[in-house]
This record gives sequence, C-alpha cells and structure tokens, in this order.
Amino acid sequence: MNPEICRHTLEIRNLSARKGGIEVLSGINADIRCGRVTALIGPNGAGKTMLLHAILGQVPYTGEIRFCRHKEHGGGSPRIGYIPQHFAFDRETPLTVLDFFALSAQKRPVFLGISRAVRRMALESLERAEVAHLADRRLGRLSGGELQRVLFALILHDSPDILLLDEPVSGVDLAGGEQFSRFLSQIHNDARFSLLLVSHDLSLVARQADEVICLNRRIIRQGMAKEVLTAENLAEIYGDDIPLFLHYFAGKDQSPREPRAAKG
Amino acid sequence: MKRALLAMLLVAPATAAIGVPLVQFRMAFFSDAIGHSAFTGVALGILLGVSPTWTMVVFGALVAVGIVLVKGRTDLSADTVIGVFFSTAIALGIAIISRAKGLTRNLQMFLYGDPLAISDAEIVWLLFLLLLVGFFLIVTYNRLLLLGIHEGFARSKGVRVKAVEVSFALITSLVVTAAIRTVGILLVTALLIIPAAAARNIARAAAPAFLLSIGISLFSGVCGLIASYYLDTATGATIVLASSACFILTAAMRTARSNE
Repeated sequence: MNPEICRHTLEIRNLSARKGGIEVLSGINADIRCGRVTALIGPNGAGKTMLLHAILGQVPYTGEIRFCRHKEHGGGSPRIGYIPQHFAFDRETPLTVLDFFALSAQKRPVFLGISRAVRRMALESLERAEVAHLADRRLGRLSGGELQRVLFALILHDSPDILLLDEPVSGVDLAGGEQFSRFLSQIHNDARFSLLLVSHDLSLVARQADEVICLNRRIIRQGMAKEVLTAENLAEIYGDDIPLFLHYFAGKDQSPREPRAAKG
Repeated sequence: MKRALLAMLLVAPATAAIGVPLVQFRMAFFSDAIGHSAFTGVALGILLGVSPTWTMVVFGALVAVGIVLVKGRTDLSADTVIGVFFSTAIALGIAIISRAKGLTRNLQMFLYGDPLAISDAEIVWLLFLLLLVGFFLIVTYNRLLLLGIHEGFARSKGVRVKAVEVSFALITSLVVTAAIRTVGILLVTALLIIPAAAARNIARAAAPAFLLSIGISLFSGVCGLIASYYLDTATGATIVLASSACFILTAAMRTARSNE
C-alpha cells in the first residue's frame, strides 16, 4: 500500500471512561491505522467493549478520539460500522432479512413495502456475503453464523471507513470460525476498511491482525502482531489461563517460542 | 350508534398501529401505567373545574415523558420506574377523589368507557389523532423497529434514541387517553396490545404484522360494538373480548403450523 495514503484513521489520546463510579479505561493512547486490521485483546472485564462504545460515542469519556479521514475518501465524518458482540434480539419478531435491510436502507416505512431499489441492493450485498438465499427468511430463525453474515452484508453496504467487530466468532462453532476467518480476509481484501477486532480467539487474531493492542483497563502492550503476540506477553495478560490457541502460531512465519505448559 | 361506530373506526387503527412497536418494545406495562394515571388526570380536571378529558390527555403525556426521562437517568429497570410513577399517580388521584365528594359518577364513564357518549369535538380529536399517528409512523417506523430490535446497533446506524423514545412515549400517551373514552381505563391497554400480539402469532414479515394488527383491531372493534348492542353488554368489554377471540384463533393457527 502507498505509505502516503496509509495514515491513522483513528487516534485515541489519553482516553478515560468510568462505569458505575469505577474507572474502566484509563489513559488510553492508541492509533488505528488506515486499511489495517488491529486486534484488541485482553481478559474479561478489561474494557474492550467499553472502548468500542466510546469510539461509537455511546458512553461518556474524557480525553480525545480523533477521526482522520483522508481526502481520497471524500472528506467529511467517517462512517463507522459496528457489529455488537451478542446480537441478542426478540427472535419472535415478525421480520425477514429483507425487512431488516430496509429498516436502515429506505425512508419508506416497511409496512408500505420494500422498494425495488432496496431489494436489489440487499440481494447484491447478501450475495457478496454468500447468503442471498436467506433474503426471505425470518431474522429470528437464522443460526448464529447466518446472522453474522447478514449483519456483515448490511454493514458492508454502507462501505464503512472503520469496522468495529466485537467478538465475531462467539456463538459460532469451530468450523464456522475457520470459515469466518477466510470470509473476513476476503471481505477485507475487497473493501479495505480499517478493522478493529475484539476477540478472545487468538487463532483468529494471529491470522488476521496486522497490529495488536493488549488492554486491561490500560494499554499493556501495543505494536505489530508478531511483536506483541509472544508467549511471555500472553501469559502476562491472561495470567495462568494461557490461551488454548497458541499452537496456531506455529503456522505463522514468525512463530514465537513454545508456550509454557499450563500449570495444574 | 353511528357516532360510536365512527369513533371505533378512528380509534381501532390508531391503537393497533401504535401497538405493533409497543409490543416489540415490551411496553405493555407502560401503556397500562398511562391508562391508569389518566384516572388522576380526570380527578384533577374535576377538582379544577375544567374538562376532565383534556386534563387526562395532558396528565397522561406528562407521566409518559416523565417515565422515559427518569428511566434514562437511573440504573433502575423500566418496570420499577413505571411502577413508582404509576402508584404515585393513582394514589394522588384517589386522594383527590376522597376529598371531593360526589365525583364517582363522573369517573364511572372513564373507568368503563362509553363509545355511545362521545361528543362531536371528541370525534374531531380522534380524527386528528389518527392522522397524527399515521404521519408519525410513516416518518419514524423504520427507526422505531430498528431500535426495538437492538439499541446499540440502532445507535450505530444513526438512530437518535432519546428523541425516538420520547416522541413515541408522547404519541402512545395521546392514543391511550383518547382510547379511554371508548373502552375505559381498565381495558385500554388491551386495545393496543391484543391486536398486535394476535398479528405476531401468524405474521412472518414486518408489513403483514402491521397490516394484520390494524385489520384485527377494526374487525373486533366493529364486531364488538354490534354484538354489545344485541347482547346488551358493556361496549368496551365486548370489543376487547372480540379481539381476545382473534388472539386465541391466531394462537391456535400458529400452534397448528408449528406442528406441521
């Protein structure tokens, strides 16, 4: 990629945020680089989701989050796509996948029907995510993996500058997880958005991330994936719960040293 | 009778249309609270010597907006906040009524409703309200539904949650207080909830759910009105029973379909 184009999409400076009187995030400084995949890892309760919500402007914070949008993208405020961790909703809602698209894609209220243009657009987006056959299915009847694909199709239609993904593989079986990883690589190659990926799945992180931020209420480490994803760092972040997925690193060109055997 | 029929034809689609997002938001208790606080609105009107219909409308709107604003500022669950507002409003109403003697006869009309006693001015208000509901839903329905599905996702899609919540609560309170004249305080929630719930039993997509809700509401409104005339029963109660029958029927259809 041309280094002149490659800039920070998102600059986080001295960000702190509280929840219920407790400082969940403190003194966060981080850059999300344009067109790159940045993984955000850390133990439960580290404030990963909170950081995403701060970026989305959904929680109050102190400090600064700067969005830098390069002129080549047309200037203006950046489009942020967000796929929440548990897309929990009332599964009995009378709503098809096409209806779901129409809710955010058309002005006409859905009870007056879906416009032809939106239908065509939705089918194209679903096709790209390889789930066009789900268009007339009820949203509440989709499996976890299918729902995830539909959400991707909907988000990518907006061609976001930044995509925030919160635990994308939770609730998807292992085969689904591998498939998902390939899918993510493919759509990222096609669309080149900046991706901020929150995940516990270190195999996914190792395969996808260019850069990694380790978070535990403050930044523990950040840098290139190969520098951050070492057995020592991971042991420090996760304590004795050394992740199960370290063996995946063996497949990467820079394999870290053998992980220490888990105690106990 | 003609006027009662006209009133039902205006009220039924408005309550049923608002009922669809109301059920999605699980706000049945909210509409019940507005309905019951209308009792206090009526008592205030009688106490102040102004038309109880209008004090009911204004008081209902204030309680609705109050609930939404307080709910947004505390960690308390929605039903706790509604419960507190609801009981306070009712207690205030009872206190007022117990002081002023001879109010009970006036209240009866509001407790049980009477579409046969609706005035021309109220018909005009119902017509205006139906148009207002139609306009409101055409503008906000997609955002309302998106918010009803997932708040965080709706926010990221640019839905201004507070504005949508407050305006929806306000419209709901207007519809509830208007509908009280037809079926009464005790049953008004049924008019909003039952048609939407019946439609949900059989609808798979958004448009059919909405249109079926209105159809069921109109059907049970007209049938209930006519039946009450021949059976000599309370009109409001008969209308609600007709919509309950629709609910039972659609629930049976749903069960039959899922067993196929």
